[in-house]
Amino acid sequence: MATTVLASRGSREQPSGRDNVPGRSALRTTAGLLFTPILLSAVCLALFAYLGSRDLDDIERRSINAEVIGRSLVEHLRLVALSTVIVVVIAVPLGILLTRPGPRRLAPVFLALANIGQAVPSVGLLVLLAVTAGIGFSQAVVALVVYSLLPVLRNTMIGLQRVDRTLIDAGRGMGLTRTAVLFRVELPLAIPVMLAGIRVALIINVGTATLAVFTNAGGLGTLIETGIVLNRITILLTGSILAAVLALAVDWLAGLAERLLRPRGL
Amino acid sequence: MSFASYLAQRWQHILVLVAQHAEVVAIAVSIATVVGVGLGVAVHGRPLANRLALAATGTVLTIPSFALFGLLIPLVGLGTAPTVTALALYAIFPILRNTITGLESVPASVADAAIGMGLSRTRRLLTVRLPLAWPVVITGIRLATIMVVAIAAIAASVAGPGLGQLIFHGLAHTGGVNALNDTLAGVIGVALLALALDLLFTVLFRLTTSRGIRD
Repeated sequence: MATTVLASRGSREQPSGRDNVPGRSALRTTAGLLFTPILLSAVCLALFAYLGSRDLDDIERRSINAEVIGRSLVEHLRLVALSTVIVVVIAVPLGILLTRPGPRRLAPVFLALANIGQAVPSVGLLVLLAVTAGIGFSQAVVALVVYSLLPVLRNTMIGLQRVDRTLIDAGRGMGLTRTAVLFRVELPLAIPVMLAGIRVALIINVGTATLAVFTNAGGLGTLIETGIVLNRITILLTGSILAAVLALAVDWLAGLAERLLRPRGL
Repeated sequence: MSFASYLAQRWQHILVLVAQHAEVVAIAVSIATVVGVGLGVAVHGRPLANRLALAATGTVLTIPSFALFGLLIPLVGLGTAPTVTALALYAIFPILRNTITGLESVPASVADAAIGMGLSRTRRLLTVRLPLAWPVVITGIRLATIMVVAIAAIAASVAGPGLGQLIFHGLAHTGGVNALNDTLAGVIGVALLALALDLLFTVLFRLTTSRGIRD
């Protein structure tokens, strides 16, 4: 899963995200922009053709139909959307708070805690919550939130810490209040790094949500699990391919949003 | 049963699982190191190949691990084979990226001097460029290892070996006396193994970095 390495690439002080990587600039050209959706559509069509060419038995038909697939997809998207929104709502203000004078002293503690938290496997966190707090949608959301909080928190902090001191001083010198400097100087400059962190959290959530099936919260993992348990390659492939396509599509959309939301001039 | 008495009773079983876990991680990372470093050396100085290799391995990293395990089952079956294959596939990206970054960070003047000394391409790679790039490369291997230790816990869902078995056993027996103990032992075991490997890499870093560039 695209988890830990996306969140901790480079040295400890490096922000998460793939845009620092040479070669991830493929989105810059029109051809590069269209490559991913064309490829993903082709994969979906191939899957559709493969399923159409097979004579599905009763068991397979119970999983491979528009209703079940649609429901799994919606469950998956709900898990991802809700947990990502909660992560942003918690991590961005917390990250801002932890870079202000005063609470700033606590920042290393939070970062160290978050780094250790990374060593905990996502499935372990899900199961731990399931065993202690019961199974279901909300428990899965909690696990997803806890697991994907780190990249957003860390990137918010690093993005703000990287803002040139002289720019902040200039803002203060112009007579802006601390709050005005935060909203008009620091945050706009930090946004690219923060967006990269949110993108990583999104991908982590799409990946971890496939495991939500183990705690009865549905999602595309349901198809994969059914395929393994019932030993039906068709169901297994449908779930796996759709989950992979979904993750890549979300990553592509997030990359696009990252470019569009970036303040001009940066 | 308290966690302490659970550990006292099951420690042998847990240690076997830790060893299995470490073993699949070690095999997967070794394969990924050969592929990643080899690929990194091969694409060095070729911008297009460079970009393609990073994009392809980065794409693999985006695929959810449960889905990748699922995709591998029709090809290699259940158990250790899909586990090692998936983990190796995930581990390639950080190693490849760091190999490329490391090779790029070798100063041009040093590379020129090596040419001037009459060293062959292979000798330049083995005695100058790789040793200078090594600190960055081994950092990539370390990151890959830590990442893969956590992902390996999911392998139990495809009947793979390791500490994930404890986690899934706990899940299957939710409400049972040892459900929480099993899960906790699995989760803590994975986290401790990751920390232990992190420490091991600190030692390996010192031992394998050329003396001239150690700080």
